[in-house]
This record gives sequence, C-alpha cells and structure tokens, in this order.
Amino acid sequence: MERMLAKEQIGDWIRTLRGWEVFGPVLQDGVWSYQPADTVQLDHPNTAQPPKGFAFPQREVFFTFEQIKGEPPRLTPVAPKGGQQVVFGVRPCDARGLPRMDRVFTETFDDVYYRTRRGSLAYVGLACNQPPSPHCFCKSVGGSPVSTEGLDVLMTDLGDRYLVAAVTATGEKLMQAAGDLLTEPTGVDRSEAGRLRLAAITHPQRAVNDVASVPPRLKKGFDSSLWEDLARPCISCGICTFLCPTCHCFDINDETNGSTPLKGSRVRTWDSCQFPDFTMHSSGHNPRETLGSRLRQRVCHKFQYFHENFGMFQCVGCGRCVAGCPVGIDIIAVVNQVAASAGEG
Amino acid sequence: MINPQDLCTRARDLLASGEVRAVVGYRRGSRGMAAEPVVITKPEEAASLVWDPSCVHNLALYLVADRKRLAHLHQTPGKPIAIVAKGCDARALVVLMQENYFKREEVYILGVSCESTGVWDDQKLMQRLGCDSQSLTGGRFDGDDFVVTTATGEQRISAPECMADRCLECRHPFPTMNNVVLGEEKARTLAAPFAALSRFEEATGTQPARWAFWQRQFERCIRCFACRSVCPMCYCEECIVDSITFTVALDTTAAEKANRVRWIQRSATRSENIGYHMTRALHLAGRCIDCGECERVCPVHIPLRLLNNKLEKESREKFGYEPGVSIEIASLVSSFRDDDPNDFIR
Repeated sequence: MERMLAKEQIGDWIRTLRGWEVFGPVLQDGVWSYQPADTVQLDHPNTAQPPKGFAFPQREVFFTFEQIKGEPPRLTPVAPKGGQQVVFGVRPCDARGLPRMDRVFTETFDDVYYRTRRGSLAYVGLACNQPPSPHCFCKSVGGSPVSTEGLDVLMTDLGDRYLVAAVTATGEKLMQAAGDLLTEPTGVDRSEAGRLRLAAITHPQRAVNDVASVPPRLKKGFDSSLWEDLARPCISCGICTFLCPTCHCFDINDETNGSTPLKGSRVRTWDSCQFPDFTMHSSGHNPRETLGSRLRQRVCHKFQYFHENFGMFQCVGCGRCVAGCPVGIDIIAVVNQVAASAGEG
Repeated sequence: MINPQDLCTRARDLLASGEVRAVVGYRRGSRGMAAEPVVITKPEEAASLVWDPSCVHNLALYLVADRKRLAHLHQTPGKPIAIVAKGCDARALVVLMQENYFKREEVYILGVSCESTGVWDDQKLMQRLGCDSQSLTGGRFDGDDFVVTTATGEQRISAPECMADRCLECRHPFPTMNNVVLGEEKARTLAAPFAALSRFEEATGTQPARWAFWQRQFERCIRCFACRSVCPMCYCEECIVDSITFTVALDTTAAEKANRVRWIQRSATRSENIGYHMTRALHLAGRCIDCGECERVCPVHIPLRLLNNKLEKESREKFGYEPGVSIEIASLVSSFRDDDPNDFIR
C-alpha cells in the first residue's frame, strides 16, 4: 500500500493513532532523541542513540524482592507494560537493528521482556535521501538508504509531501487509521519518489571492502598483532557499544534500596565489551584483559561470529561508533585493515 | 608559528638516539583530516606525526595507561617516554607529578605552544563551514587564523570563531614545563576566565532553575563512562562505579562477592547518574586543569566543563589555588598554608 501525505498533516495522522504511544525525533539541549510527540518534524540527522531502547531498554527490572527477618524472601515479578508504541522517523539502518536483536532475544532464547516490548512496537521509517552522517556505510553491510527491513512503514520525503508505503500488516493498520488524510499517489509522485530513491542509493558512501570475504578473513586474522595496534588509543569507554543499534550485551545485578527489611530489585542493564570488567570472572581472571582483545570482540562479533551464527552481519552501518569514538577508532578502517592483512599469504 | 616538520624531526631524533622509549603524539586518522592519538616507538614512524588544530586530545592519558600497563606486567619504566603536550596537556602532567604519579625525569615533554589560538571545536567548525568532517581534507594554524581545505578549496577562518570554549578561556596556552618547546609564548585574551560558567549562571539564575537544568542533563547520561575514561586525572585503580575492583582473594566467599558494596548502581537512572557525576566532579576539585576532554567526548552533550569549572573557580576564590601551574607547590587537597585566605581553618 502506497499513499501520499501532505507534510503539514503528519500531526493529524498521529492524532488518529488512538491506543498508540507515539515517539518522534526531538532536539533538546543539542541532542537528538526519540521523545513522546504529538507531531513530528522529520528533518533530523541520526539521533544520538538508535531506537534500540524501545525493545531493549538500558534498564529492565525483572522482579522485586523483599525479605523480612525470619520469613522466606518474597519475589514479585515485574512485567513490561506492553502498551503499543510507534516510533516515527526511524532511519533504515536503525530499523535493520531490530531483526538482528530478534535473532538473539526471540530465536535462540525466548526473552519475555524483549518479546513483550518488541511485540507492541512499530517503526515508521524515513528514507535517507541524503546520508545523515558522513560515516554512513549501510550499503556495505547489506542495507540501503531506502531499506524496509525492520520497518512497518517507510516514508520518502518528496519536499512538501511524503510517499508513505506500508511494509507490514501493522504498517497497513497504522495507515488505515489515517483515513482520508492519505491519498492515492499520482504518476508524478511515483516518478519523483523513484528518482529520489535512485539518487539515495547511488550516493557515495564509505565502504567495507569485499565484505563477503570479511568473515573468513577475520577468522584467519584472530591472532593478528593488528588488534593490539589498532586498539592502542582506545580509552575503554562504552560509546561505540552504547550507541550501537545492535549491541545487546547486558549485566544483571541486584539493586537494594532498603535493609530493614531487605528489599530491592533484580535489574538488567546494558554492558559493554569495551569496559575493562566485561567478562571478568569471579576469580579475578579476565579472558579479555587487553584493549586489542576487546576491540576484536566487538568487531568480530559484528562481522564474523554473528555472521557464522545467523548468516547476516550484526553491523547495520549507521556510523555512530565511528563518529562518536573519542580517539578515532573506525570500525570500517579496522575491518578493512585486518581483513586485508589476513588476505595476504 | 610551529612547523610540524620540526616536531617529526625532534621525535625521530629522540627515538633514534634512544633517549626515549616511545613518543606519544598525533597522526592523521581515517576520519577526514582529524588527528588521532598514536604511540610510536621507531624513528621511521616519526614522519607520520602531525600538529594542527585537530589535535584536540589530551595525551597525558596515555602516560597513565602506560604506567598502569607496566605495573600490571611488573615491569619498570626504564627510559622516559616522550609526549607531545599543549599547554593544557602539560598542566595535566604537572598535576600528575604533584601527585607522584610520575617523576619529572620519567617524562620527556615535547611542548607545543598554542600561541595565539588553540584547537578547534569540531561541531563549531562544521557548522561554520556547512560541511561534514569527512569533506574536510586539510587544516592548519596560521597566526590568528585556521586555514582549512574543503571540496571548494582553501579558506581562512578567524580561529576564535571555531575554537573550543576551553581554548578561548585558556590562560596558559604555553607549556611552561617542557624539555623542549616548539612555538612561542604569546600573550592573549580571547574570553574572560570562566566565561562559559558565568554565562550559564546568569542564564539559569536561581538555584532551583540550576538544579532543574542539571537534573535534565544527568537524566540523559547513558553511563558510557567516556568522561571518566578520557580524563588523565581519573586514574584510580578502584572506581566507585565499577565492579571490577572488588578485591578477590582465594578465600573470598561467594556471599562476600555478592554483597560487595556498590556505592552507585549500574542503572543509568537520574539518582545514580547524579551520584556518579557529582563524585567525579568533587574528586577533580583542585585537580582539573580544564582540558575539556570530558565535555568533548560526551555522546549526549552533557556540559561537564561547567561542573569542573565551578570547582576550579571555588578553589581559586577560596584558596587562591590554580591547578597545574608548578610541580614545586603542593596540590590543593594535600596542603596547608598559614596564609590561607579562609578563616575557618585557624
């Protein structure tokens, strides 16, 4: 289903979405983030963080506990609210993060918290007529500026109007709610959209070289000395992983908030393979003690291990880790260098 | 004005003569023309060193990392390590030496004067040029200006338009502590000390408004810890926010491990975030030399400089103390003076 929507009517469409909590990109204090919105103006670059947190929030409470002295501990499960949420303005790369997260949290293991949030989440995407970041490389990893993977609806900006295309049944429902606001596209609309899409996909991007050969080459390069060399400036912060649309490592802790009686909650929070205590064993031993071993974990997880397990790259090419690294560690350059060196001899 | 070639020559000679075991400096990265930190150990690598307005990083951090790595391997440092240091970087080294993190002779300071400018602020520059970082192919200092190269050719920009706030407010752009220094010491006043802080305090006015502002800032902290990780002063082996540092011995029980004290939970909630940032700010009081790296690296643009500046201002006004000026004087928190300007201590 393809329809047209006048730009000034996007708020009207949003108001027809009863029962949905609507989010859109908002600029506050110099930072783009997805916030609850009555209307949206889709002129945003990449948001600082991807919309990953809608399905996989940085903090998830599993249950609360309470123990009164002399009595057995009482556990109270906490379930996600599960209300329907729709996010407007999702970039195609970020949307491709979602099916990758699904592999981890619904296929190999059924994570009820993720599944509940994911099941009531819809993405209304915006095609990237212009690359929103100089470090975009979606085309290298199987995506495109007009990709629909992971989206329910894809909108294309035609200047004063959007071409709105349903991708899933949920997307069609969202569009049906709009009623007469959405109109049949004309031949001019379609050809204009076609022209913009062609321009979008032919826009030059930075590139991972010969990406098909990357997984086996990284495997071969596991013991390469390049890992330590390239990671040498790394400061072990979590920017690259916390801004990533697909990183999903987590930590689970009990957070107490009272001692008489003892009470608190068991909480899952994001973790980062770049933190020095990532995978540190209870004994004090850490199998990923060095900067190089942690960089290798991040890069190979995305470009080798995930590919071996699920037949797809775990990187969607949004470029946030490249743009955000305080010291210039650039996943495109890292993959290209390690793969090239493993290809020699 | 500094000829970057002189820096390469100095670094090469230091490595060739064996006077130092490594040089920490800047080289061109893969993101446009932006410099990135590098540690070189061979004379032939010295040609890759650069010095330009994109050399924003405080490299003192890498000396701390080097020291930690050697300690971990139970190795002694041996020969000194050389570091390319701007005024702010050299002040960081002063503080580290005051705190006995290194001895003076363990560090060879290859000073670079920022002269009448400083480094640029990437965002200000991109806004000014209306292009992205990947399209910026060249940039250099030229007197009071930056000369940049983009697709449309070379252009000259008055440096203060695009300089980082911390550089505009910098009072010591010349690395006074050095083994050798390139460039001259030039007097300048581009912005009043604490200008950004004053603007903020005026804009927010009342204490409740200020508190509301900070709550909003800390609310969005994602606890990536980049501000701590990039700070040369945050060298603690034990940080209150980590679980790594809980001492584990053979006889440590599971209960002890599970019940370790967690001053600040891992949840990125407002209260925990405030606990983290306030602790960090207070631990930097009288130590922060305003390199501004914490603010530069923050992925959600929390204006962390304001916090550190506030404490720096307090330390100056209450104790007449300015951090990073000389290794001959004791650090603020480890000193007592009879002529302390405060009367509460007598």
